[in-house]
Amino acid sequence: MAKENAIKVLQELAAYARSKDAKAMFAWQSEDSRFVRYANSAVSLNTREILTKLEVTVYGDRKMASSSIMTDANDLDSMKKAVDKAVEMLPFAAPLTYQPTISVIPETVISEEAYDSAVVAMTSDDVIAFVEEAVSGLETEDILLSGNISSGVTEQAFMSTESTEAVCWRATDIGITLVLASLQDKWEVNAEQFAGRVEDLDAGALHDRLSWLVELYTTAPAERVPEQPFTVVFGPAALATYVDYHTWIGFNGGAMKRGFAMLNPDDIGQKVLSDRFTLMEDPTLLETYPRPVDQYGRARKPRPIFDRGVFQGFIWRQSDADEFGEKATGHDVTSLSVAMKGGDRKVSTIQEFAALPRDCDILYIPYLHYTGLVNPTKGIVTGTSRFGPLWLKKDGSIAVPYNVRFTVSLKDLFGDNLRWVSEKTVPWGESSHYRSRNPGATVVPVLACVDNINIELSNESF
Amino acid sequence: MGVNWKHLIKRLADRGAEYADVRYVPKEENDTLFMWNGNLIAFDRSEERGYGVRVLVDGAWGFAASSSDEEAEAVFDRAFDNAAAASKRSRRPIRLADKDIVKARFESPCGIDPFEVPLLERVAVMKDIDSALQHKDVPQRVVSINTTRKTIRYFDSEGAEIEKYIIEIFPAIQVGAFDSEGVMQQRGYRPPRLGPTRGWEVMNKEHWKRESDRVLSELFEVIAAPVCPSERCSVILMPDMMFLQVHETIGHALELDRILGYELSYAGGSFVRLDDFGKLQYGSEKLNVRADATLVNSPGSFGFDDDGVAAKNRMLIENGILTGAITSRQMVMEANDRAGREIFPDSGGTSRACAFYRVPIERMTNINVDPGEDGTLEDIIKDTERGVILSGERSWSIGSTREQFHFATDIGWLVEDGEKKGALRNCTYEGMTLDFYRSLSKVGDESTWEVQYVDNCGKGAPSQEMQLGHGVPVCRFDNVKVGE
Repeated sequence: MAKENAIKVLQELAAYARSKDAKAMFAWQSEDSRFVRYANSAVSLNTREILTKLEVTVYGDRKMASSSIMTDANDLDSMKKAVDKAVEMLPFAAPLTYQPTISVIPETVISEEAYDSAVVAMTSDDVIAFVEEAVSGLETEDILLSGNISSGVTEQAFMSTESTEAVCWRATDIGITLVLASLQDKWEVNAEQFAGRVEDLDAGALHDRLSWLVELYTTAPAERVPEQPFTVVFGPAALATYVDYHTWIGFNGGAMKRGFAMLNPDDIGQKVLSDRFTLMEDPTLLETYPRPVDQYGRARKPRPIFDRGVFQGFIWRQSDADEFGEKATGHDVTSLSVAMKGGDRKVSTIQEFAALPRDCDILYIPYLHYTGLVNPTKGIVTGTSRFGPLWLKKDGSIAVPYNVRFTVSLKDLFGDNLRWVSEKTVPWGESSHYRSRNPGATVVPVLACVDNINIELSNESF
Repeated sequence: MGVNWKHLIKRLADRGAEYADVRYVPKEENDTLFMWNGNLIAFDRSEERGYGVRVLVDGAWGFAASSSDEEAEAVFDRAFDNAAAASKRSRRPIRLADKDIVKARFESPCGIDPFEVPLLERVAVMKDIDSALQHKDVPQRVVSINTTRKTIRYFDSEGAEIEKYIIEIFPAIQVGAFDSEGVMQQRGYRPPRLGPTRGWEVMNKEHWKRESDRVLSELFEVIAAPVCPSERCSVILMPDMMFLQVHETIGHALELDRILGYELSYAGGSFVRLDDFGKLQYGSEKLNVRADATLVNSPGSFGFDDDGVAAKNRMLIENGILTGAITSRQMVMEANDRAGREIFPDSGGTSRACAFYRVPIERMTNINVDPGEDGTLEDIIKDTERGVILSGERSWSIGSTREQFHFATDIGWLVEDGEKKGALRNCTYEGMTLDFYRSLSKVGDESTWEVQYVDNCGKGAPSQEMQLGHGVPVCRFDNVKVGE
């Protein structure tokens, strides 16, 4: 549905809610999602889902209730019933200890900076042709292709009964994960790209990385890593995983108040991490599919989170701000625009880095599989390597290691142990989502080096 | 006038589809009630309706989904076209194992439909529980009740017609307090199977008062407890931890689509190979595991899967030897073909989708460990020289082929010379999957066996969350690495 229609529907629903003397906020999402999945060197699934969802939250005196519906985009009657339902539920809501804030959107803002009609026009054949180019000549009877190619358009619109203005946002996104894996030996290497525009896709770069890794994995010795401390160079997927923990247990004010965070108010203004670590929430970064205005109509500006290791303060979503007596900071969006600043190391790819001389053995870990938050207060996270780790030896040789497990504190990882950070950064996103499409990406350095990572569990095979 | 699903399926067959099915969800309702420190911060009703169409053309799958009845014909065509496009990059044409064609209905066992309980009463029950959890030294308390009611109608081109009517309820409580180091410690409770039905009757007042008191008491134990020592010793897993161990390192490892490489680009593979079936010593002789979708009253029992296959009870591991997998119609054909022998006689009936807009994939049903003959929990403790009793999942992290794992638990208790001693905090344990199960030395009897429910198992791309169950006894494993 076009954005104009979304606004029109929300205006009708707001008028309907007003006719019932209800104070209500509306959140609309429509998505057209396409997904091509490869497995065993074939397209194993080719899907398209066109979905529309409406959420209605009704507010009373220290009370709120919400109702949502996934239905036909033109089914206004069902959407009005969702309003009725929320209104009907409100009297039964338990009183809150605070008054929740309803939005008063001051002016209509329509954001389409991250929208590319070429993404919408992509066909299954286009996707298949792109993948053919990216893996050309790399598959064999033993080395098989897997992959996820998720693309789509997401449209969100927000309004309340307190004004006739709306916030509307539309973006396209493409997430590509390609994996080449040995059927016999069970090793697996990958290459990924996340982009909002078709023109930013680069099959050649995917091929370069995959072909380099496949060559190593088919020729270099496979070895078990000793269980001991290592210097580790992390790739963008691994770094994004760790950085994203900050949005959860780091600078999120609500989580801090709930005792689920590793930082506290005393840390504001203090140097708690390395001076090599600068983190921004920056809605001007197009590669993060930014939301320039939040759901309450607040214009969003770049906000430093850590400045050379010094913690700048928590962000507060409206509901948390209401609950804990704080001021909302304009972060009521479905995906933040978090970016870790690049450093001074002039290296752009692992291929380049591996060719440089080194003063110690280094593990290259591009990707973390299934991390677990062991202790939020201490910021302790555990995980295992995946998708093409390398053992770069001091003598210049390269071995391919079996996967390893290590458990680290984020305070150490981005603190004293952070040795260097690459100058170049890339966006890393999620190519599939639970429940609904929600484009997002974290900008991270392509490589960052961390000392003293203790390998606690080392596999004996791939 | 409703959509004529059978007509649309026939239309695809006329276009050349080898197979087609549709899952039509006329209504799915979900109520989410979440109370934090007495504040009802989520009081949400969601509804969805729509249909998903799956089509096999020239040996390849296509899928499309929508909520629009008016566009149904176009959506069916879209699924067909997606399959036709996929078939251009086909390596091994998909074939489906035979099944019995049924016209049937399934209804989950429910005493009191939670959606028929007035909201006022539901909130009052939550407030009662919240009151029971209140204590001046407990800064965090959570009470949540998630309920689902849905109808799924399934039709396929082979003539199957199935209707499922499912009601789920997942209540939970959790409390948190800081220990002397300022670390937030938590203790939670999600009820296991409490009887033959699961409806609002599980919100029995006395039961929740008793469990609230226990959870609070154990929270106070853990915040005053010493840190778990780092050493190798026995671990005794209570059912509320054992279920997760089984889930992550037996259940996921034995999903046949993972074994065949269909999840390699996201969820991961499995260390299990096709030639392991019938040979691999997965665990000690005390380990007997089954996938039992016929178990009475569990989210893992759903009558018929989304391939239209009736629920089955199949052994996965017998006396420690790997014998079976979690299977669907497509995967058993491919596995047998690739192995060059018949490993799997037919589908195990485990193909499920979490919503109308997702495609069915192999999902766990009830992955159960049979009770053993090593007595009660007390008997097992008595026979343990040094170990740690572990309870309550706090974090979990598993290798991409499920070959190794790391878990943290809410609480532990030291066992020395056959006696349960004081509580321990910050308990973790880790290990290699096969070494771990081969060290299984005690399996509790029926008195220790509980069916634990899981409401959020994640898998697949696009991602899906699924509900299922695990019937598990208390189990003891030896020489396990534990620590903070």
